[in-house]
Amino acid sequence: MPEVQAAGVIHDLGYRGYDGPRLGRTQIVRALTWHSFRSAFGIGRGVKGKIVPVLAFIAMCLPALVNAFAVAQGNARLFGYDVYTPALRVALVTIFIAAQAPELVSRDLRSRVLPLYFCRPLRRGDYPLAKYVALTGALLILIEVPLLILYAGTIASAKGGGDVWNETRALIPGLGVGLMWAVLFAAVGLVLASLTGRRAYSTGIVAISCVLTFFLALLLIQAEGGTSATSTGARIGGLLSPFTILDGVRVWLGGTSPGLVANPGRYGPLYGVLAVVLLAACLGGLAARYRRVSQS
Amino acid sequence: MPSIQAPPGAAAVIETTALTKVYPGDITALDGLTVSVAPGVTGLVGANGAGKSTLIKILLGLIPPTKGQAKVLGRDCETSGETIRILLGYMPEHDCLPPDVTATEFVTHLGRISGLPPTVAKERAAESLRHVGLHEERYRLIGTYSTGMKQRVKLAQALVGAPQLLLLDEPTNGLDPAGRTAMLELIGRIGAEFGISIVVASHLLGEIERICDHLVAIDGGRLLRADSITSFTQASQVLAVEVEEGLAQLQAELAARGLAATPQAATSQAGSAAASTVQGRTLLVPLGGDDTYDVVRDCVAALALPLCRLEQRRHQVEELFRDEEEVPHA
Repeated sequence: MPEVQAAGVIHDLGYRGYDGPRLGRTQIVRALTWHSFRSAFGIGRGVKGKIVPVLAFIAMCLPALVNAFAVAQGNARLFGYDVYTPALRVALVTIFIAAQAPELVSRDLRSRVLPLYFCRPLRRGDYPLAKYVALTGALLILIEVPLLILYAGTIASAKGGGDVWNETRALIPGLGVGLMWAVLFAAVGLVLASLTGRRAYSTGIVAISCVLTFFLALLLIQAEGGTSATSTGARIGGLLSPFTILDGVRVWLGGTSPGLVANPGRYGPLYGVLAVVLLAACLGGLAARYRRVSQS
Repeated sequence: MPSIQAPPGAAAVIETTALTKVYPGDITALDGLTVSVAPGVTGLVGANGAGKSTLIKILLGLIPPTKGQAKVLGRDCETSGETIRILLGYMPEHDCLPPDVTATEFVTHLGRISGLPPTVAKERAAESLRHVGLHEERYRLIGTYSTGMKQRVKLAQALVGAPQLLLLDEPTNGLDPAGRTAMLELIGRIGAEFGISIVVASHLLGEIERICDHLVAIDGGRLLRADSITSFTQASQVLAVEVEEGLAQLQAELAARGLAATPQAATSQAGSAAASTVQGRTLLVPLGGDDTYDVVRDCVAALALPLCRLEQRRHQVEELFRDEEEVPHA
């Protein structure tokens, strides 16, 4: 083959190596996170990939827009910042994670792209971490932006600084609740979606798990006397579903708007513990899932 | 055929010492493998289950060895996995491409994950795809590609990070003969002109020997043989000549013209019923070059023998192993 080498000088294909700066692992993880965050909204995908996330986002914003008009007409603010519109939020968060968590993880499992990630300077935990941060960020946009619109629409008609201050004080815990939702549901969605590479199945798994547990919790609470009941059954019924767990935590931490669950009363700490345990279990499951994948 | 990439005294690109990997359940994938791979194009041959994939995973730093040590480009695989993975390009054996993105987008994204800044990733993605022969097609969705084009994208993503060493796992998998030849030529060119060392894992010895400077043969997790390509080629390249009659005359005639032909043994070529009927009609001639074909043709013509078949035998690696066992007795 020596003659080939000699010919290489003549038929120069122009291959160039690269000696320039390379990004560190942190920046690589950031790049993967940004890529995943964009694809959570279908950016960089076809029109089909954008339909669900964009419609979910618009639907989530509608009540806040309605509120802006209502407040301008002289009405009081329509929704509490800490609950927003509970049923709509449950439905849209379910739809969003059922559609977009598989977009982030099942797709890569399905097309077996993962070895191409793990043969690059990433560590095992980096991939699920990037996906988790990306989906959490996407859920924050979905949940918090409507709250900010609600806030903006309300203070636009505020009379005096005192009103603005009161609205701001009410908004902050609402943003905190939104953060809890984003952090927990990103984990729940990803761990369920990463079970299988079959996109339809993982969407089904996420959707069914969310809907089923939610209705179980609602049924139990209804059977025990509804959200204003004080029976033990009604107080702990909310423990059955992640949505109602978080709502229980909200009430326990001092949320006042009527929400999804009965006041947990002395079972409040139980809701808090269960929320943390659920989050830890989902993140642990996600990490374990990718430790196995990266070796196969 | 000397190793063209090896500067004098160049260090080995891959070095393993008593490398052992035992999976849970006492499955031994590698069993005290000690091998050193010089710069250049090296073939890693072994039957399915010989330990090729396990070796590659250890080299990538994805799984730790049970015992022993592996070094890539002078760095320890267990402790410097991340650094090694910056310097390595890996092309997996199986399908690994998402169908719903364009090749440009996909390779650019993986360039970013290889640590390239955004603009560099874009440039290098376009260049890598051009080098593997994908031009306008690169703006199409990967799902619309043929198998050959997909293999090229897989090679391009291995190149995009500007690696010093490429690990290619069965790069000709699923390709038709023309596609195989094109892929092998491409790999040969990358090795010869791009200044990148390459390790090609394959179970088809006859195929990768065309582009390799060195061969490493493993079997049952052990090193069978590591040598320059020439010592393998002699044992592996043969021309099968089948005539309806006059086998002995042909053998004598070939010998007279300097070719040591041997009648095909009954055990070779899988011992099927068909093989045993043609036994006694087939001569195996060591294939030296294109001259061999001429000599055979001339002999057959001179003797006016009815020639049925003239084929270059594509040796599978199993035959190499049998040859190995026979060598000490020969």
